[in-house]
Amino acid sequence: MIENYILMHKGGQEEYRDSVFVNYSSALTMAILYLPTEAEFSVADEASVQALVQASSKMRFTDLSESIYPILTNLRNYMLIRIDDNTITIERHGKVFAYIVQNGELKMLPNGKTSLEDGDRVICCTAEFKRCLNDIAILSDAVISDSAEEWMDNMVCRISDRNRLSEGNLTAVTMIVRSGD
Amino acid sequence: MQTSFADLPALHGLILPAVVLFVLTTAVFIWFSVVYIKKDGFGHPDDNDLYIDCAWFCEIGKRPSQQDSVYISPLEDYRKYGITALVADGMGGMEYGGEISEKVADFVESMCPMSFFASEQNADELRRLSNVLYDEYQLHGGSTLAMVHITGNFMNYYSVGDSDIILIRDGSPTILNPRQNYMSILIKSLCRNNKQTQTAYSNPKARSLVDFMGNKNPRVIYTKKPIRIFDGDKIIVSSDGLTDAVSLRNFKHYLKDSASSTALELKHAVAARKRPKQDNYTAIVFTVKRSLL
Repeated sequence: MIENYILMHKGGQEEYRDSVFVNYSSALTMAILYLPTEAEFSVADEASVQALVQASSKMRFTDLSESIYPILTNLRNYMLIRIDDNTITIERHGKVFAYIVQNGELKMLPNGKTSLEDGDRVICCTAEFKRCLNDIAILSDAVISDSAEEWMDNMVCRISDRNRLSEGNLTAVTMIVRSGD
Repeated sequence: MQTSFADLPALHGLILPAVVLFVLTTAVFIWFSVVYIKKDGFGHPDDNDLYIDCAWFCEIGKRPSQQDSVYISPLEDYRKYGITALVADGMGGMEYGGEISEKVADFVESMCPMSFFASEQNADELRRLSNVLYDEYQLHGGSTLAMVHITGNFMNYYSVGDSDIILIRDGSPTILNPRQNYMSILIKSLCRNNKQTQTAYSNPKARSLVDFMGNKNPRVIYTKKPIRIFDGDKIIVSSDGLTDAVSLRNFKHYLKDSASSTALELKHAVAARKRPKQDNYTAIVFTVKRSLL
């Protein structure tokens, strides 16, 4: 089981423009879209991506990727994630990052498959979220937290100390692998 | 062919370059061994090839009494048990702050040597101590707790309250432990409501502790998995008397190669501020170095 917590905060902007779409089926599928202020993305395209993620439970990851790519080709900053049978598969485009806590360190997840173990902690976040945090802070908050929500809360406090949550949209997903159901 | 005396000056001319070449080659080999072979890309370093240099200070500031307490486990036991270091900051303005911080330090000493791999049980022990202190003092005092346990290339930490555990890597300091104060609760609440957090910082009660040693069943923050440490890291465990006087962004001016020099610089930096209400200020400084042996 993957415990996860999603942060979607508008920051100091008038509206929240990034997007996170999740499909909780036997495999967890997720799309994180990062829209810096200069990026343009139509509501119709956003709806198309959402529909594809919702219908993705029986799609292969590569098929989902190929279906989404033409829609998001101008956006450039997005990530697709699938967690299935103790593996995480990611496809990163632009300034959306994924990290895993392993062996007391925070390591960037490469594109493709990575195996997961019980207790592993993974974070996917936009560049705007990561800008205010260094690797040590993310790691430390990960290893002391009992839940994905607590991990996120601790990081939000750090970002708040820097900018009072008054800058760009903040988008991130924290995940903890739990054994059993 | 015989060597005549006439050839000897020519031989002498060869010996000096040969010696220089030998010394240079040896130096390059040692440098290569230390800098590259032991680094990650060339294979994982041995758990035992880091050593710890430690120094500390505990100053009274402008307060009438010293309410901070310190404990550092014997350095000679480092190879066997690692090193445990604690700063407990008695809560100012409360009757028994100093007494409680001393009891926390004494208790941690009694726990040592503690198991590095039983951080949950260690945290439980600390929580039980807090309950004993609660029964004894009935909230007429309290203390923070900031403790690190370093073994080989890894560190666990434990925290209750708002003392600081700072990891400095590549000259950049990061406070590891979250502060258990009212401000963090306000920030979380504002964030949930999609709001900015300026009001949390202007709240007069923002710095009030929500958890401390001496409270009933406090939340003991601890690392479920240890944090890797590296050659060149510095770790500072301190009371807020230090970080209130010297901001984290200015720490880089006081970092020296050895723990004792760094501790001395930080201590002088606080004294130089001449703050009229300077709190007790205490810090334990560790520098992590790779052993050549």
